[in-house]
Amino acid sequence: MTTPISVDRVAFRRGAQDILSEVSLSIDAAQVVAILGPSGSGKSTLLRVVLGLVAPDRGFVRLDGEVVSADGRIFRPPEERGLAVVFQDLALWPHLTVRGNLAFGLAAKHLPADVQDERISRVLRRVSLQGKQDRYPANLSGGERQRVAIARALVLEPRALLLDEPLSNLDVPLKRELLGLLKEILRERRVTAVYVTHDLREAMQLAHRFAVLEAGRISQTGTLDELFANPTTAFLRALREDVDPVSAPTSV
Amino acid sequence: MDRHLSATLKRAQEPLALGAVGSMLIVAALLPFVFLVVNLVRAPAELSAGLALLGSREPWFVFLRSVGSALVVALASMLVGMPLGLLLGCTDVRGRKAALILHVFPVFLPPFLLALGWFHLFGRSGLWGGSEWTSGALFSLGGSVAVEALAFAPVVTSLVALALQGIDPSLVEAARVTARPGRVATRILLPLAWPAAALGGLVVFALSLSELGVPMFLRVRSYSAAVFARLGAVQYAPGEALVLTLPMLLISIALLVLERRLVGPRSFSVLGLRSTGKTVLPLGSWRPIGTLVAWAGALATLFPFVGLAWRASTGTAAVQDWIGSGVQNSIVPAAIAATLLSGMAVVLGRAIALRRAGAKALDALTVLAFVTPAAVLGVGLIGVWNRSGTQPIYGTLAIIVIGFVARYAVLPTRTFALAVARASPHFEESAAVEGAWFLRRLVRIVVPLHAGAIVAAWLLAFVFCLRDLETTILFYPAGSAPLTVRIITLEANGPEPVVAALALVHTSIVAAALVLGALAFRPRRRA
Repeated sequence: MTTPISVDRVAFRRGAQDILSEVSLSIDAAQVVAILGPSGSGKSTLLRVVLGLVAPDRGFVRLDGEVVSADGRIFRPPEERGLAVVFQDLALWPHLTVRGNLAFGLAAKHLPADVQDERISRVLRRVSLQGKQDRYPANLSGGERQRVAIARALVLEPRALLLDEPLSNLDVPLKRELLGLLKEILRERRVTAVYVTHDLREAMQLAHRFAVLEAGRISQTGTLDELFANPTTAFLRALREDVDPVSAPTSV
Repeated sequence: MDRHLSATLKRAQEPLALGAVGSMLIVAALLPFVFLVVNLVRAPAELSAGLALLGSREPWFVFLRSVGSALVVALASMLVGMPLGLLLGCTDVRGRKAALILHVFPVFLPPFLLALGWFHLFGRSGLWGGSEWTSGALFSLGGSVAVEALAFAPVVTSLVALALQGIDPSLVEAARVTARPGRVATRILLPLAWPAAALGGLVVFALSLSELGVPMFLRVRSYSAAVFARLGAVQYAPGEALVLTLPMLLISIALLVLERRLVGPRSFSVLGLRSTGKTVLPLGSWRPIGTLVAWAGALATLFPFVGLAWRASTGTAAVQDWIGSGVQNSIVPAAIAATLLSGMAVVLGRAIALRRAGAKALDALTVLAFVTPAAVLGVGLIGVWNRSGTQPIYGTLAIIVIGFVARYAVLPTRTFALAVARASPHFEESAAVEGAWFLRRLVRIVVPLHAGAIVAAWLLAFVFCLRDLETTILFYPAGSAPLTVRIITLEANGPEPVVAALALVHTSIVAAALVLGALAFRPRRRA
């Protein structure tokens, strides 16, 4: 079985600045990998490289074994990658209703209308938004918008779902509620997913594996236990102390 | 094979669309420059007289005088526009929105209409004049500079106001905690708005150097008029006109370089990228004075309409006979050009905002065509299109449309680029990830999302085409004179009340277009 997403020695520069350097990562089927890192570490850029929105200057990106980007070239543009994304700002199209937002990608794939209707109804039910398909995003609550964004990505039945800090601007109860929903959906549908965040507590709810990205380099990968057994960087030690204060060095 | 071809075509949608727009721009705007440069380099026999002319002092004297006066107009516009932009853009002066609209309105009119209005106020038989002194002052280089400065100052005002409205309010609030309004204005706001003011000054300089109507009406010699005269029946000497464009061409290139250096790379931040809220600087006890100054400045640009209205009221019975098909000849090519330009702006403006390959070069071409004096562009357009095989274009309104596309492409393009740059790139990126190719994204996402900007782009292009005199006067087809040409022609020998009334007709058309546009632009809440 091939690996759904594989990133191999990817480098990306913007001007004179190295945004990503020698980043390698592979994500197995039905696995959720969290990419953790401080602000400006290159997390979102890595996601954009995988999505095909930018080409890596060096290195390869493979989807199900096929090279889709390599060495400054994009062989498969984002339209052909079969991925789905939820951005931090959600990017719900304000001029389309909830149904219009969900149907957009399905129509682009030329699916028959009855298949579109069936899929949209099913996904809206799953995220508890049935009856709201004719609303515009402006007329939804913050939590409902998040659900629409998740539903819009899932309705496509993508080969992998990429989430770029989708819950970072929410209050704690709403975040907890949506994390629960997301966890259930990812598990029951066995979705391969990449979850980008700087919040370890969020990532712990969802991810099977973790990759720590610092200054454009992957500093450590593994399960949470593996990471915490031997944290190699100050960022990781700080994360560990944040979720497990007992592990913090005692000050005198 | 078919699937492979279909995939290739889908991937090529975006470069093909940009290529099509680029080709249109190259035909309309670049070919005239190529014609000028090639002919100047080849220097055929007919140019020898022109080259001899450039060897004399006279044209250089007029050229330097025109450049000098354009410089003074630009500086004076900045002097008026910067404080007014500050007051009307981000302070709490009373009725600042209304004052800004009234102040900016004359920008959408040909400046010679304002000169006509000032003439009916301060001319020999004017409403408030009647003396040799006021008339002499108006019909002088100083008068021409003053009229143009007042006509063009709103360009600076509006750019500064727009830039200030885009500033993050927290920057001002942080300064207000420690400083008085005056210090906040001079130390925080004006420096932040400086690139917009500089851009305004640059645009005003280009417009003033291009200006034909005001110096012609006020009997002031200008370099643009000298070029224009050599394309007319009396002094017809196209070779001389071609040679005379050379110094102006160099100025255009210098302006392009200056624009690229000053604002080009950061034109979006200059015009308020991603504003998060409205910046309001309370003036405190200075509010009444601020209100007075703001309204005085705003109304000063409207005084000429008093003169026009007064003169028109003295006898307009024959307007219908004099107007002919001028209104139709103005509106039809302006509407066609605006529609074409808006379509081009959607593709090119988006490409500029998203930094697509080739977009920067096309953007530079639109800037070059705009800052180049219309007389220069006009000579090039005549050279390219006045041939036996192209008479179906040169002999019809199509040539005016081409001239408009060449000269005004930058305005709707930058308007649309600004709208795209302000929006989250994720709207379109999400659509791409969902499998929508360029054309589908354009039609289903980009156009509806930025419908307001498209209306604004169309409107801006339309009113600038309507106000145009310098381009159309060079090659309007016989019997198809637009209203601006008709007014300036009649001004020399037609009845004054009728000319004033025609000026008001033009003003009303522009005002109606702006009101309709504003109604269409009004954001609607989706239920």
